Amino acid sequence: MSTPILVVEDLVVAYGQVEAVRGVSFHAEAGALITLVGANGAGKTSILNAIAGLVRPRSGRVLYAGKDVTRRPAHRLVADGLVQVPEGRLILGTLTVEENLQLGGWQQRSTQAASIKEMYERFPLLAQRRALPAGALSGGEQQMLAIARALVARPTVLLMDEPSMGLAPKVVDEVFRVIAQIRSSGTTVVLVEQNARRALRAADYGYVLETGQVAHEGAASELLTDPRVVEAYLGLE
Amino acid sequence: MQQLLNGIFLGSIYALFAIGFTLVFGVLDRLNLAHSAVFSASAFVGIELVARFGLSIWVTLPIIFVFGGLLGLVIERVAFRPLKGRHDAHFAGLISSIALGAMFLALLQAGFGPDTRRFPPDAFPQQRLEFAGAVFSVLQLVIVVVAFALMVGLTLMVSRSRLGRGMRAVAENPHAAAVLGVDVDRVTALTFALSTALGGVAGVLFALNVNSAQISMGSSIELKGLAVIIVGGLGSLPGAMLGGLLVGLAEVFAVTYVGSSWRDVIAFGLLFSILLLRPQGIFGARQVREI
Repeated sequence: MSTPILVVEDLVVAYGQVEAVRGVSFHAEAGALITLVGANGAGKTSILNAIAGLVRPRSGRVLYAGKDVTRRPAHRLVADGLVQVPEGRLILGTLTVEENLQLGGWQQRSTQAASIKEMYERFPLLAQRRALPAGALSGGEQQMLAIARALVARPTVLLMDEPSMGLAPKVVDEVFRVIAQIRSSGTTVVLVEQNARRALRAADYGYVLETGQVAHEGAASELLTDPRVVEAYLGLE
Repeated sequence: MQQLLNGIFLGSIYALFAIGFTLVFGVLDRLNLAHSAVFSASAFVGIELVARFGLSIWVTLPIIFVFGGLLGLVIERVAFRPLKGRHDAHFAGLISSIALGAMFLALLQAGFGPDTRRFPPDAFPQQRLEFAGAVFSVLQLVIVVVAFALMVGLTLMVSRSRLGRGMRAVAENPHAAAVLGVDVDRVTALTFALSTALGGVAGVLFALNVNSAQISMGSSIELKGLAVIIVGGLGSLPGAMLGGLLVGLAEVFAVTYVGSSWRDVIAFGLLFSILLLRPQGIFGARQVREI
């Protein structure tokens, strides 16, 4: 077993008096795809924001590539290869598609142009619309842009927050195809999803969160057939 | 024709003052009410550089640009950054920047005394030029050219450069910018610096135009600057440019044809009618924040 690239230890995230994350620990092996699933309000987004340096955790530690990065600011983490595809995509709608991609490479000035070219080859649709305001894209196109934008930063670990949210089933299929490609290119993926069945099918390992704590964990294939998980989170197909 | 030119000279200075003012508002959603103190301070320091050290205007203006920028960094650091993340940061920033501006002015008065300061009489060429029956000085031409060069430069920088892209990202959604790895604090500080650098140069140009500087010069342009950016559309750079020219022209024509006591009535009457007819300003979008 290789050393994990990302380790989260006893993470607590609180907003005022409310603890959204109450002592969560998990880890991701380099190159693996792990998923955090659970209902709304289980603390999934707070966990990702704390890892990404966007929210300061009350306690606990985040180790990335063997180093404690708990207090490292967000822009430094992006420079170091820990990159997030945020919930709700957060496309900059008044900027063009190309400018969004350029912003994705804010910290990688030397490789930015080459990365953007790669993204245009990989997502020809974005190349066609490069000069359009990103706000003019459809929801699915915006999600592809959000993913491409994060990839311009050449992530070692990619944190993906609800990438299938609000998308038509066909588009969701495409998003998961892209996630599989990212994973097979060697990037470690931490996937947060409400669509638990879909996420577990894509993942190697899964954590089921419940009110800010890990309720179950295991190989994704086992969780998919675990009666407790099936009953509470997956339902009948 | 003469009045038209005078209006353009005055208006270009208003525009330069206002474009910096509106930049901070457009990118950061904050009004920096110490902007006018930078305007006054830069005028005094500019006169000092010329009078005491005999520097030419082409050396003085870049120095003032840097000086104004440094004051902007101080303002951001002292009056705005400590408030970051507070739910009342908006209002608190107004108050703290008023306070810091007042301190700048007090320092200015302590350093230079309360009297009106002037450039030495022979510091600039007094050559007169004529254009379509109107007379103006070389100096006035310099004022207009410098003001417009800086405004066009700023507009290009915001629309084309990497920093400009960062500013527009922060303007639209600071959280999204942070997610992408933009150092939001740094972009914020640079936005302030750029804003007050232009405000500082505007102060020197204003002093050149009327050949004098007073401590109170900032407070009178501050209200006009607010009028300008509201007329042009809050946060809009071309709006500030056009608004500045409009207010400058309105003032000059009011003085000529109605009487000098009507000057502010016309300027603020313009503001009032714009607010009635087009509340978002000439270039204002429906959303409040854009640049």
